[in-house]
Amino acid sequence: MSFSTPVKSRPSIASCSPSRMSYQQPRLDSSPLTPRQYSQLTSSFMSSRRRSPSGAQAKSCIHRQASSPLKLDSYPLEGELTGTGPVSSTPKRPAKKQLYRSSVQGDRFIPSRSSTSTAMSKLESESKISPVSSDSSASSVSNASSYQPNTVALAYQSSVAEACGLALNTRILAFKPEAPQSSKPIDLRSQYNRPLKPAVNAQLRRRLPTSAERILDAPGIRDDYYLNLLDWSCNNQVAIGLDRDLYVWNAETGTVSSLLQTRPNTYIAGIKWSGDGAYVAVGLSDGDVQIWDAEEGEKVRSMTGHAARVGVMSWDRHILSSGCRDGSIWNHDVRVAEHKVSEFVNHQAEVCGLQWRSDGNQLASGGNDNLVNIWDARSSTPKFTKSNHKAAVKALAWCPWQLNLLATGGGTYDKHIHFWNGTTGARLNSIDTGSQVTSLQWSTTYKEIVSSHGYPDNNLAIWSYPTLVKNGEIQGHDTRVLSSALSPDGSTLATVASDENLKFWKVFEQLGKKVSSAVGGTLGSGKDIAKVMMIR
Amino acid sequence: MPASAKSQAQTAAAIAAPTRSKLSLKGSSKVVAEFFEYSINSILFQRGIYPPEDFQVVKKYGLNMLVTVDEEVKAYIRRIMSQLNKWITGGKISKLVVAVVSLDTGDVAERWQFDIEVFSKGVMTRKATLVADKENTVPASGVQIKEKSVDEVQSEIQAIIRQITASVTFLPVLEGRHTFNVLVYADGDAQVPAEWIDSDPKEVRDAEQVKLRSFSTNSHKVDTMVAYRLGNAE
Repeated sequence: MSFSTPVKSRPSIASCSPSRMSYQQPRLDSSPLTPRQYSQLTSSFMSSRRRSPSGAQAKSCIHRQASSPLKLDSYPLEGELTGTGPVSSTPKRPAKKQLYRSSVQGDRFIPSRSSTSTAMSKLESESKISPVSSDSSASSVSNASSYQPNTVALAYQSSVAEACGLALNTRILAFKPEAPQSSKPIDLRSQYNRPLKPAVNAQLRRRLPTSAERILDAPGIRDDYYLNLLDWSCNNQVAIGLDRDLYVWNAETGTVSSLLQTRPNTYIAGIKWSGDGAYVAVGLSDGDVQIWDAEEGEKVRSMTGHAARVGVMSWDRHILSSGCRDGSIWNHDVRVAEHKVSEFVNHQAEVCGLQWRSDGNQLASGGNDNLVNIWDARSSTPKFTKSNHKAAVKALAWCPWQLNLLATGGGTYDKHIHFWNGTTGARLNSIDTGSQVTSLQWSTTYKEIVSSHGYPDNNLAIWSYPTLVKNGEIQGHDTRVLSSALSPDGSTLATVASDENLKFWKVFEQLGKKVSSAVGGTLGSGKDIAKVMMIR
Repeated sequence: MPASAKSQAQTAAAIAAPTRSKLSLKGSSKVVAEFFEYSINSILFQRGIYPPEDFQVVKKYGLNMLVTVDEEVKAYIRRIMSQLNKWITGGKISKLVVAVVSLDTGDVAERWQFDIEVFSKGVMTRKATLVADKENTVPASGVQIKEKSVDEVQSEIQAIIRQITASVTFLPVLEGRHTFNVLVYADGDAQVPAEWIDSDPKEVRDAEQVKLRSFSTNSHKVDTMVAYRLGNAE
């Protein structure tokens, strides 16, 4: 049998193919077969496939895998020869049938069509006598639409609507007026991340003292907003002016000494410790500016010239600036006999706030004319004049960690704390505190500023900067707080009020780190500083 | 005589039942209308149609609801609600749609749909007959309506409002400025004031739909659904 086959000529290709399918493919490509051969081949393939479940074929298959390539080759061919006659026609018939059936199915792919279109077919039969059978709905639609477009369209619509579950007798109505437009574009992304109220972590929340660390009497203190009667030196000594007397309270030892008493009919209007803590400058109501040696307890010199009381002073190394009731600011060089080196004149009313920046390049001044002036040390005209406050400005503070940041607080009719950039003169931030601002102190420990207040709250408020969140409040005094001073270690705030109390508050106590108490503790470094200044 | 007495009792029941149902229908309409008002406000807030500072927290449904305080928006919603109240009480609308429309392109970005199903009086009467001679009838499945307490209804509404709030987690971020339109699917015989005009359904193109919870009262059932355009699927 195998000898009679014409295709036996190329056994090598067949031998390497694992399956009959692939065995046939290369054969077709490689050798030019006659059409008959080709049909034979295909039929043989088909027949053999058809037959494969049969025992004999399966057996041959197994055999083929085990035997030599030459023999292998012959087996399919044998199948071909035997299967040619009847096989060629048999596989075709079911295929044809399938094709036919599928086409019939395609005609009626919506099984529910006939039921939904009953109304339509009725319509159609009424309008026109036609032998269209109602079950072949596709033709009925096409026929009907050509004759009765409107009714059919309606019917079609109804059937579609019904199919979609809509009722035709409903109307979709829109509210015609346009919705009001939002005032600004909203990006939700920013909103998602925004907490409804600023969350305060319990661990980070500031714990503030509710009671004072220490209370001292300050009898006879003048209840005058424009005076500055309290200061704390770097040597940990607190100086306080009580009418005609100046007392120095040593925070380390707790001892009090009376440093000086002014002439009758005068009183102390301003007190300021020098940078090294060795001298205290005292401004008097008659315009005299005196410098006292705190350790020796004697007057070093007196610098006269001011026409009215000197309520505020500020040191920049050897320069002492003094603000006078007449609005003038004098700069005294304490080393030379002709002490007045320059004059800053811009305020029209009493100067009550004065502070040099820590580097000595700028001086901030506030006055009863509601102005804040920022002066360049080298110029006698103000670099910036700010009129934002609506009341006298006594509270001034340069930020210790950001050199050009200045905080200023206004009086009773203003109640605001403004923050300024000393370089550009720009107002950076503002807080409405709700009461008269009498003093401001930046913390050296926290990014915070503490403000003391007069009427109506008489409280201390601690604000974080730059968030301006009020971290806490201390209701410490019964009457308005006149002045405040920060301890050299930055932990304790001293406040004096018109209720004649000097109170000490641990407002900026460092957490986790035990800081020795400034009140009655040691400070160290300041004490060792020698008197570096030469005062004539 | 007993027959007539029985019929009398029946008529009495028949009279009593509709009045009761009418009352509950009215109360239920109020609940539904109120729900719409709060839902619209929630959508306006959650989807950032108006800035958050225009909204105020109000206690409702045991939740903190945000309601606009902007006078213009308030008046606008009030005008919509006054008409909606009439329609819902009359049972004239089947759907309420809040469409969020881009101001720049006019495209519908989101479509909040509320399907309102009014339990017909037929159901009520059928229920009455069921009670009357329930030994003789086969209990039809699904028609038995349990009387719902106010608390149950409220907790169902609460669940929907929570879902509306939570929907911001899956809804795409709306780029640019958007406004909103309110549509209703009204019956053909509903009285339509001049402010309301016929409209297209304002469907969202290439929409993804999410069905939210539903709530039902004794006479209404409200289904909630949101359709939104899916962002560019990468």
